[in-house]
Amino acid sequence: MEDYFTYTAKLFDQRAIKDKPEVFKGLRVLDFTHVIYGPTASKILATYGAEVIKLELPYYGDMWRPASYWGKYWKHSNPIWHFITQNKYFVALDLKLQEAKDLIYRMAKDADIVLENFAPGTAEAWGVGYTSISKVNPEIIYLSCSTYGQYGPMRYFPGWDLLAQAASGVLRTNGFPGTDKYYKLPDYLGDFIPGNMAALVLTMALYHRNKTGQGQYLDLSQTESMMRMLPHFTYHSFTGEELERSGHADPSMVAASIFKSRDGRFLGLACATEKQFEGLCSAMEKKELLSDKRFSDYLEALKEENAEALRVIVGDWIKTKDCDEVIRLALENGFAAAEVMDDHMICQDEWRRARGSVVLFDDDMYGELAVAAPSAQLSKTPGRTKWLARPLGYHNRYVLLNLVGLTEAEIEDLEKKDVIGTFDDKPGLKPPIYYHLDKDPIYNYGREVRK
Amino acid sequence: MSLFKKKSKEKVYTRYSGASANISLWKETIEKLMSPEGRPEVLDDIMILDVSSANFSGIIAASFFAEFGAEVIKVEPPEGDPCRKMTPFGKNVKGVGIPFIVEGRNKRYMTLDIENSKEDRETFSALARKADIIIESYPAGKMDSWGTGYRQLSEKNSGLVYIAITPYGQYTAKAEKFSALPDTDITTQTGSGLSAEIGDMITEPEPYNWPLKAGSWMGWYISGLSATLGGMMALLYRQRTGEGQMVDIAGMDAYSSMTGFPASIGYTWDTPRPRIGLLDFILYPYGHWKCKDGLVAIAAARDQDFRALLKILKRWDLEDDYKFTPDRIPDILEQALELHREIEKETLKYTADELAAKAQAYSIKAARSKWKGGGVPIVMKIMKPEQAVSMPQWELRKSFKTVEDETLGSFTVTSGFVKMSESPPQIKWVSCDIGKDNDYVRDKYL
Repeated sequence: MEDYFTYTAKLFDQRAIKDKPEVFKGLRVLDFTHVIYGPTASKILATYGAEVIKLELPYYGDMWRPASYWGKYWKHSNPIWHFITQNKYFVALDLKLQEAKDLIYRMAKDADIVLENFAPGTAEAWGVGYTSISKVNPEIIYLSCSTYGQYGPMRYFPGWDLLAQAASGVLRTNGFPGTDKYYKLPDYLGDFIPGNMAALVLTMALYHRNKTGQGQYLDLSQTESMMRMLPHFTYHSFTGEELERSGHADPSMVAASIFKSRDGRFLGLACATEKQFEGLCSAMEKKELLSDKRFSDYLEALKEENAEALRVIVGDWIKTKDCDEVIRLALENGFAAAEVMDDHMICQDEWRRARGSVVLFDDDMYGELAVAAPSAQLSKTPGRTKWLARPLGYHNRYVLLNLVGLTEAEIEDLEKKDVIGTFDDKPGLKPPIYYHLDKDPIYNYGREVRK
Repeated sequence: MSLFKKKSKEKVYTRYSGASANISLWKETIEKLMSPEGRPEVLDDIMILDVSSANFSGIIAASFFAEFGAEVIKVEPPEGDPCRKMTPFGKNVKGVGIPFIVEGRNKRYMTLDIENSKEDRETFSALARKADIIIESYPAGKMDSWGTGYRQLSEKNSGLVYIAITPYGQYTAKAEKFSALPDTDITTQTGSGLSAEIGDMITEPEPYNWPLKAGSWMGWYISGLSATLGGMMALLYRQRTGEGQMVDIAGMDAYSSMTGFPASIGYTWDTPRPRIGLLDFILYPYGHWKCKDGLVAIAAARDQDFRALLKILKRWDLEDDYKFTPDRIPDILEQALELHREIEKETLKYTADELAAKAQAYSIKAARSKWKGGGVPIVMKIMKPEQAVSMPQWELRKSFKTVEDETLGSFTVTSGFVKMSESPPQIKWVSCDIGKDNDYVRDKYL
């Protein structure tokens, strides 16, 4: 039989991705969401082939367009926004006008999914909520994303990732015992995790609709999503105790902590099983620990004082080794260790490039950029990047002509009446300075324009 | 329904609210969300074998499927999955750790020693012919060498969705070289870029300025969530074409693939970000401050929100120096820290509840005024997870459920993380007994 890794190399061949089928081919999504939470959900659908029409307000657009790290822009765009909005169609229309609403109802007729993350009540008040959309399309799957949910005494409270972290208690779980500093989960994980959950519940609703023909309304709260990931509630219910923070250590696994090596690098190390702990002891040449009563079995070694004693032993050993050596020994002896990877290491990592989880994508408008791909690689229907973010209103004409079926004259009329519009002269909204929109075929009604 | 009978006018913090023209339809929809019991289950036609070992991502993925109605059979050796023993400070109930109980939703338990017994492997293969999804976490190629890999199982079951979870995946040279390396939460956090971004500033003393670990299992939960999501994509494709496929999860991608920041920032900056402790790269104020009675979270990052906060704290004098978002972000660290200290001086004068009340009052006024620019400064007391349980919001939303098990007794778990009008997730039971369903599974599937 063929060698396993030769077989999988063919199965997951990165060069073949562009010719493979897409799960969501022909799936139409109307996306009212903004910032990170909602857009992450629609981005995942777009990565697997859905036609996501992202609706924004002309001249302003999504408030996350200009929100770049440290105010640093890349070709007049926000470098972290490309990943959040890849493969989407960018349409800007003014929801205050009745003509824009009519346009939305018309689009909703052919849509499969609508999602929004306004403050609860807003979408309903604007006439684009579930009750209005389900009248024109009863089979619609409509997802409302919010921090606390669409009902309950806190439903009108506005929220951000930070509030979801604070209200769920996640924020209180990070840091060192006995200190008053609580480090929030970085990079808005309180948006990204619920965003991924939003994509998950949409796939569930789609699966249900494919079986029964039934659409439905979904209410996903950021805070509940984050609470789903904590053992604290059940821990408290059994022990009556609060689970205190544990700094660098993981109190639920043997010898699990972040350590500093002789060459000043940081690594995470842990033993998931007793066998792995044996491996660690032989790597440390401390077999006597195996007969030490404190570490005799897994649950015993997790008791607070035993765990602390063991971490000191392991920490002292790591201080005498270089990081690479510890990881080599981990591999040879079968316990877990991995270096702390930063942005630059992740971007340059050969393995990630070969795996296709960091892709150097060559975009028609922006040129080359490293973007991340999902950690789940599918052998038959992989996700892919087709284009990066686009200026505000870039796909107005393309979408209205090709996906909605308006004529060029009708579109021009909408432009004149300011029902649809484009970008203001702001970074994050406008195209790169070297780019000529008038020569862009997609911007110009999908016509072939001489470049 | 008491929710809709309230006569007192509700506090509304945003500009757009109030009854829509479709209020009765809306009411009907919400009532459906509020009573999830007895509705159809999405995955009631799906059978899953979870044979993952010493890896919680697999258990978590299986748990999500089980909540949506799939029949999930946890396959483990007679002594049980090592995951049963992973629990904070060794706290356990009759030998079962807390995290394992949390994820014991709607599951069936069967004992098969596929690592050592040839006969059990054959039983597993026979079950796999009837399965829709398999979840495993053995070293890449291990299942294949036992004759129970995707290659062999898919020959007799072409619709099979096969989810494999490992640190470095099923292909590439590194995956082969590192196939023996086990997967854990902490190495997933460090290796996928999470730890590098959390922790205190470099100017703080050691070890506080080291890369930190997120307190809960963020690495494993992200991998587990990604596995379920990948599995659902595969199920949807199968629904249309009848074809199964392999879904390969690499734990070392967890964080970097979910946020995408490390790849794109690493590329455009060509240098790593420093750790900035309690500050934020894009938004300010966006974090927590000391107040009279503890800690308070404040998010007032948009310019209009920041102005509102200054009004509340009576520090309009700061407005001139910190007018725009770029004035407040920590690219000039000292400038940002100075603002941080100035704000802390003020928050210390109030309790968390006083500040929250002030912020709410301002927001309500701002929502009705065209002069206040819609400023919505958000202030909230920081909750311990244990305090969150008793909030009326979650009680009304049934976010927690008390379940009763013969062996484990009565306890609380999170439940119904999403509300769905037609096919919501359900918790039918939570149990963990090894080999509990051996007969059930054999009778039904063999």
